[in-house]
Amino acid sequence: MEKAKDFYEKHKLIVYLILFAVSLVVPFVIEQALILRYICTIMMYATLAGSLNVINGYSGQTCLGQAGFFCIGAYTCAALTKNFGVSFWIVLPLAGILAALVGLLVSLPTLKLSGIYLSIVTLGASEIIRIIAQTWTPVTGGALGIKQIPYPNLFGLELFRPKYYYFIFLIIGVLFLFITSRVLRSRVGRAWMAIREDQVAAKSLGVETSRCKCTNFMYGAFWAGIIGAAYAPFVNYIESSQFTTDTGFNVLAMVVIGGQGTLLGPIIGSAIVTILTETLRFLENWRYVIYAIIIILMMWVRPQGLLGASDSILAGGKIRRKEKEQGGKKA
Amino acid sequence: MKKKRMLAVAALSMTAVLMTACSGGSGSSTGGGSGEASTIKLGGLAPLTGNYAEYGKGFQIGWQMAIDEINAAGGVNGHKLEIEVKDTQGDAVVSSNMATNFAEDESVMAILGDFTSGACKANAEIVDRYGIVQLSPTASAPDYANMSKYCFSIMGRQDGEAPYLARYILDKYLGAKKIAVIRVDSDWGLSCYENFLPTAEELGMEVTVEKYASGEKDFSSLITKMRSVNPDVLVVMDQGDSVAAIFNQADAAGWDIQHVALGPGTSEQLIGQLTTPDNLIVTSPFFFDENDETLTKWSSTFQEQSGFAPTIHPACAYDTVYLIKNAIERIGDGEITRDAIQQALDQSENTGITGALNFTEDGDIVRNYMICGVENGKWVVLEGFDYANE
Repeated sequence: MEKAKDFYEKHKLIVYLILFAVSLVVPFVIEQALILRYICTIMMYATLAGSLNVINGYSGQTCLGQAGFFCIGAYTCAALTKNFGVSFWIVLPLAGILAALVGLLVSLPTLKLSGIYLSIVTLGASEIIRIIAQTWTPVTGGALGIKQIPYPNLFGLELFRPKYYYFIFLIIGVLFLFITSRVLRSRVGRAWMAIREDQVAAKSLGVETSRCKCTNFMYGAFWAGIIGAAYAPFVNYIESSQFTTDTGFNVLAMVVIGGQGTLLGPIIGSAIVTILTETLRFLENWRYVIYAIIIILMMWVRPQGLLGASDSILAGGKIRRKEKEQGGKKA
Repeated sequence: MKKKRMLAVAALSMTAVLMTACSGGSGSSTGGGSGEASTIKLGGLAPLTGNYAEYGKGFQIGWQMAIDEINAAGGVNGHKLEIEVKDTQGDAVVSSNMATNFAEDESVMAILGDFTSGACKANAEIVDRYGIVQLSPTASAPDYANMSKYCFSIMGRQDGEAPYLARYILDKYLGAKKIAVIRVDSDWGLSCYENFLPTAEELGMEVTVEKYASGEKDFSSLITKMRSVNPDVLVVMDQGDSVAAIFNQADAAGWDIQHVALGPGTSEQLIGQLTTPDNLIVTSPFFFDENDETLTKWSSTFQEQSGFAPTIHPACAYDTVYLIKNAIERIGDGEITRDAIQQALDQSENTGITGALNFTEDGDIVRNYMICGVENGKWVVLEGFDYANE
């Protein structure tokens, strides 16, 4: 591991170029579209889990309602492209902005709440959004959902095969990683992490905690909205039952398994959960038992997730204390 | 620096993931080459888990029975058949994911399934794009099969069954005037109700309706509301566990009313679930007649494999395999492609164990119905096909 890190530090450019080349070639090397579709699903959930991770992992707020923002993005895309023929490429940022605005609305009353109370509010908000989608028939198709959502069109090429769709998710995923990594290193990002580690201390140092928590929610919701908008034409059909709290918890499981507060964690989490879902399909409902066991084991053995940093509050008091005892210095 | 490193590791692991995913797949390439005998692969979509699991399991067994029979008899034009069944959980989105997977897998020549009209309609666009047949044993929404030339169904349509329910069960058989309808809020449920209502109104019935989201478990408030209307008959339009749940909760509330169901057919499992099965009347296009030797034999083979008695649904599933077989026979020495199967299927005329199966222009079939009820825990025909002509 150390060697790999050293190699990476020395040849950063080469590593990036290789990764870039590999990701470009993948859809043409893998002939089985079935597998490409799974890869698309992994990339989609990786971004969605990443957006949740920005909230849960970086600012330490516990959002359980990511499915709601995802739902807003998906329905915005489906309704606008299907009913008004708006181009997918215009809808994509629109869906993000709309989700971010709703994120703001949700975050406002929750500023004074934290912990379990905040979680319950976000859970409720997610269900409200889903029920609106289920009831507002003229726009969302009600319980029947929206079918035959137009595929994105790029210079006359209809992007309906996973081969092409791969690039949509890839670009969104890379953009998300890049922008988020920048944001996290900015003043705002550091403020989020300060709030996570100790809200009172952050406030005493002049961090406007309320505003930072709002922007954090909006940022997470924005990306969930975007990925929702990309998801709608990918499945071609959406209905409210796809956005239940189960979806929210599923995404949360990805973040928890992968590691909160790391950029890489949600990607690993998404890959593990998606691959397990597909390979364990033959076990039928028993596979949910397996998830549950994995999550329990995870909380037990590695509360910070597979890739989580052990010096964060997310790792739980035990590890933190141990680090302190050892004179842990990493900040 | 640390973040940058993380970013790179992130990208690296994404690649690693791709590799893992690659090794996870196992493809079977079995394209139907012309002339040379090979295996023709079919894709099966069925709700093996969830609310409609009884029907999904029935599909799986029905398909496999037909395939085993055909292969044992030497296959079709020397080709063996095989089917890969995927669980769609009774969920349209899972179904369309699976449909895409089959459509993208070039070795799959045709898709059989799915169970619900909603799932089939969600898949219609996909099968149309990829040019692969989706032959549903049970989709009955009238606006399904005409969505694409690749969409077929052999269940008969709700614009036949729902008016039959109004005219012959409610009006002629029961003489009911005040009807309470509780229906599932889905494509299928909506289409049932929309086809039911005009006939009911024409016959001067007073209809009160309530709908519920698929997956709801507590119907007590709906039942209380319906009871206050004081109807003659309680009609439930749904399949699966909810049908029994509604009638049982009505019984539990001490409401003595005639039960009628549109959708479940002569489901054996339903009898087991109901507290007062003898109070139930359903429409059915098909009945396992004990005097019919072929049917009895089929039914007992099915029961041996599944552990429960069949409804029309697995019988239709069984028939769909034979429809594909006949289509392949019609292609003869020509190359077996997805399009060739579509064309041959479109023109085919067949008789299956569930009766005559001749496609209309839309790609579905017209069925006749009878009235079935329960006596001493067993399904019986109350009025046969002739009742509609009397």
